[in-house]
Amino acid sequence: MNHSYTVIAYFIYLPIALLLTWYVAQTLFRNGLVFMRDIFFGREEIAKATNSLFRIGFYLLNIGFALYILQIYDTLNGVQGIIEVLSSKIGGFSIYLGIMLFFNLFLFFRGKKVAKQKHDEHMAMQPLATPNK
Amino acid sequence: MNYNISAYIVYLILTGFIIVFVGKLFYRNGRVFILGLMKDDAARTDHLNNILLVAYYLFNIGYAFVKLSFWQSIENLAKLVSSIANNMSVLIFILASTHYLNMVLIWYLSRSKKSPLTIKSFQS
Repeated sequence: MNHSYTVIAYFIYLPIALLLTWYVAQTLFRNGLVFMRDIFFGREEIAKATNSLFRIGFYLLNIGFALYILQIYDTLNGVQGIIEVLSSKIGGFSIYLGIMLFFNLFLFFRGKKVAKQKHDEHMAMQPLATPNK
Repeated sequence: MNYNISAYIVYLILTGFIIVFVGKLFYRNGRVFILGLMKDDAARTDHLNNILLVAYYLFNIGYAFVKLSFWQSIENLAKLVSSIANNMSVLIFILASTHYLNMVLIWYLSRSKKSPLTIKSFQS
């Protein structure tokens, strides 16, 4: 009978973890395209491709992690056990997602900074190359 | 039908779907980068992209099948769900790590050459 509680816990955990991942990725990468346009200076095709490659990587890493921590090792005794086990799992997964979100944001900001530096250097070089324009 | 065989069927359907879906996304989005590295030679880019896609399918589907022979024996429904999730997570982690490795590789290649992917192309 104890196994049925574990199965119920799995089927509560899975949709919550997948929906949470989907929601975070959706929020991050809808706004990520703006950063990518800045980094690649309006080359729309490369900006979109990079954004969706980052999105695929984000989904793979986080859904992989969500499935990896799914297994429940203790035997559950009733609804209380389900709630206690799930709270630690979903809470831990949320914290992990938050860290990954900030890591991706850090990458975006860093890319933007490097691109801006290179652009500025290039603009500074420009008058030397063509003095009469 | 015992638990192990049903686990194999569910696992193969889910991983096959993930591998094909992700492969198509890589194929579509990676083309721009190969085109940049190949100096806008469209024919060579498409050849290389097709070869990369086939290599990706062979590697991952082969790995998914090899996993079947190391499957632990399953006694109940809870074990079924957890073992499918565990095996799939390893496969997805391998996909994710190779994907990030490839992105780093593209970044390095486009940095070292004067490719149109970087800001250096403004100078030409």
